[in-house]
Amino acid sequence: MTDIVSKGPWGSPPKTLPPAPPAAALPETDGLGVEFVGKRGALFWLALKTGFFTILTLGFYRFWMKTRLRRWYWSAIRPGGHPMEYVGDPIEKLLGFFIAVVILTFYIGIVNLLLMFVSFSVFSSSWLGYIASFAGLVPLWFYASYRARRYVLARTRWRGVRFGLEKGAWGYAGRALWYWALTIVSLGILWPRMTFWLEKYRTDRTFFGSARLHQGGRWTMLYRATWPFAASLLLLGLTLLWVLWIDPVFPSGGLDGAQVLSEFDALFRGQWTAMDLGNPERLLFIPFALSGMLFGAIYYNWVAKRIMAAHKCADGIEFASNLSGLRVTFIYVLGNFLSYMVLVVGIVLLVFMAAAVFGFGFVPEAAQAGMLATMPRWATLLLLGVVYVSIFLLWGVLHNTFVTFPLMRHMARTTSLSQTAGLNQVSQRARDEFAEAEGFSEALDLGAAI
Amino acid sequence: MSTGFDGMGARYFDGDRPMPQEVSLHIAAGMLQIGLDDDMVHRWPVADVRLLPDVAGKSVETGVILRVITDPLARLFVKDLSILQHLPHLKHRAPPKGRRRLVAWAVAAVAAVGIQIGVLVPLLADNLAGFIPASGERALGEATFGHIREALDETGLNPLETCEAPEGVAVVDAVVARLGSGQDFRDDVTVFVLDHPMVNAFALPGGFVVLFRGLIDAAEHPDEVTAVLAHEIGHVISQDPTRHALRSAGSIGVLGLLFGDFAGGAAVLFLTERLISAQYSQKAESGADAFAHDILEQANISPAALGDMFANMREKHGDAEGVTAHFLSHPALGARIDAALAAADDTRTYTASMSPVEWAALQGICD
Repeated sequence: MTDIVSKGPWGSPPKTLPPAPPAAALPETDGLGVEFVGKRGALFWLALKTGFFTILTLGFYRFWMKTRLRRWYWSAIRPGGHPMEYVGDPIEKLLGFFIAVVILTFYIGIVNLLLMFVSFSVFSSSWLGYIASFAGLVPLWFYASYRARRYVLARTRWRGVRFGLEKGAWGYAGRALWYWALTIVSLGILWPRMTFWLEKYRTDRTFFGSARLHQGGRWTMLYRATWPFAASLLLLGLTLLWVLWIDPVFPSGGLDGAQVLSEFDALFRGQWTAMDLGNPERLLFIPFALSGMLFGAIYYNWVAKRIMAAHKCADGIEFASNLSGLRVTFIYVLGNFLSYMVLVVGIVLLVFMAAAVFGFGFVPEAAQAGMLATMPRWATLLLLGVVYVSIFLLWGVLHNTFVTFPLMRHMARTTSLSQTAGLNQVSQRARDEFAEAEGFSEALDLGAAI
Repeated sequence: MSTGFDGMGARYFDGDRPMPQEVSLHIAAGMLQIGLDDDMVHRWPVADVRLLPDVAGKSVETGVILRVITDPLARLFVKDLSILQHLPHLKHRAPPKGRRRLVAWAVAAVAAVGIQIGVLVPLLADNLAGFIPASGERALGEATFGHIREALDETGLNPLETCEAPEGVAVVDAVVARLGSGQDFRDDVTVFVLDHPMVNAFALPGGFVVLFRGLIDAAEHPDEVTAVLAHEIGHVISQDPTRHALRSAGSIGVLGLLFGDFAGGAAVLFLTERLISAQYSQKAESGADAFAHDILEQANISPAALGDMFANMREKHGDAEGVTAHFLSHPALGARIDAALAAADDTRTYTASMSPVEWAALQGICD
């Protein structure tokens, strides 16, 4: 997922150095490129192997899986030819998870139950309870995501020097809630303001060794990145105005679902008569505009990162990025398409198998009499379970291979350190012990992939 | 004797400053000697040198990274791989540390979840269920009933019909009234018959009792339907459905935490929740059975009818015993049949709960 990226060295990219240091250091030109050395096939096998162990261990190996995948990705990214290093320990992740479970279990169990009670008693409906219980988790979610980032940065090194993030998770959660509220109240117009100030909060607390990063620039500079989304939204609005009001496609007014269905029936039988539609092909603008909005959302997300990366700096260290929004969108769409195809095909298969076992109404009798029906029930349940987890395993593996991998590679290769004189002044920072690791994020299910 | 290695591209990082240093590499007398430009030499015992695992790239092209166990920070980046064969313990792991602490927190986590799901949530749910006002329970039951009717409808367009033939409805009312002769709960209970072939019946919060047409069709004697009705009324009186709703609200979130993002966690969660509710229900079911025996006895209807209904079901669907019994909400039927037969008084003369005319009317409630 993108989490790896935002928590990784990238949200607050590595810096680098160059100067003509004393005799011991190498002559480097002022500026460092970032190499990416990993091969897709190697990652595929690593993800498959660790995913398989995860299934065998009922999920407990996932802490090792995450660690190993991160080690791999980090070591593939080589600013100035020298690999990043991830030194996180699976055992500390497991410990952190247990700590988080102990703390969260009481909060979640009791709070959910009480909310449901109040919701039933006072409002006679369960929806309010669900919404309140979800809303109660939102601050925790932000808190956990900051803590997870702090952990990952504290365990990331380059050239032997640690990164770090200062404490401030509650401050982050508070600001995130406030900026989200502003964004919602302003119908999304202030979204770039949220993106900028949250990233600034994190970046300004990020260190590489003794060097503190600084996020420069202004939030308004991110409006540049919103144009594909804004244009698509405008297109959607105009299309809706056109087909619903100015020159309605459905002259007779609204239709209910049954009417539309019967129209389709008629269409398939070649009897296109009943309704008098005014140029229905204009409706194709709607899916077009919606795809444009999806593209725009991905484009904004990444181009905003690019713009902000170019405005990050530390003393004598500056970054440059020429990440391509189009390329990233392409990776997203194609990679997600591939991995979700596996998921969808697998789930359909699973539903049919389940139907054969449990005999839902829609499976022909013949299928029920098949092999599955003759196996003992526990064996079929086991088989279903294995198929179920395998589908998710494969989805995760493909997602790593076709989304995370190309994204990391593209980001690495398009990032550079345009100014590295300050590296000379950097020295090591103390270790951030951080017992609970990313337990909260793990327990709240934030970083789904790595 | 000393072996030299190609220092081309090799770099040493001292773990303090991010500046790569050129090195010359030798192994002599069991020591890896890392010579720096300023004539300083670091000596790493060969047995203490380790290789960083899971590094991307083919090592012949992109090099390997070495560290020494006595210094957590210093790193040696090497391109001449011939050095590796002189380092015997490259893949040895560090001895585990903090195991005891890990085990302590693991036990604490399991205990916290166990106490939460096994003790706190049920306790709280059972106590709070009594405080939910009738209107709240009723609204909850109506909403749930609506969802169930929609889910059961095969076309997916309209909720499943309830059966409302007036003669049949009158019979149901009469039977409920007769069952309630001892303790009047007619105001608490609303009975619906759903036009669906499933052999089943259930109770919902707010006093809703739902019979399926399939159950009426499958019954061989009217008392069997009456007995099932009595059993479901037992659930209503003890507020089992409401407790169950509260309990699920509390425990589902906790389990979701535990299983995290592994495979979505949904399957495990579902199975576990079934286990919990089955245990919960087994106790509740026995209670509802006992309640049914009592009110049937008071209404002078044979409690054995409940056993007959179960025997009938077992004949058609088989018993659930062994492993799968845990996954069914109803305890093994054999025990319940025996209990029902034991509750019937052999010396007493029971009357049927409906006349043949009434029974025919009930069977026709969906026509």
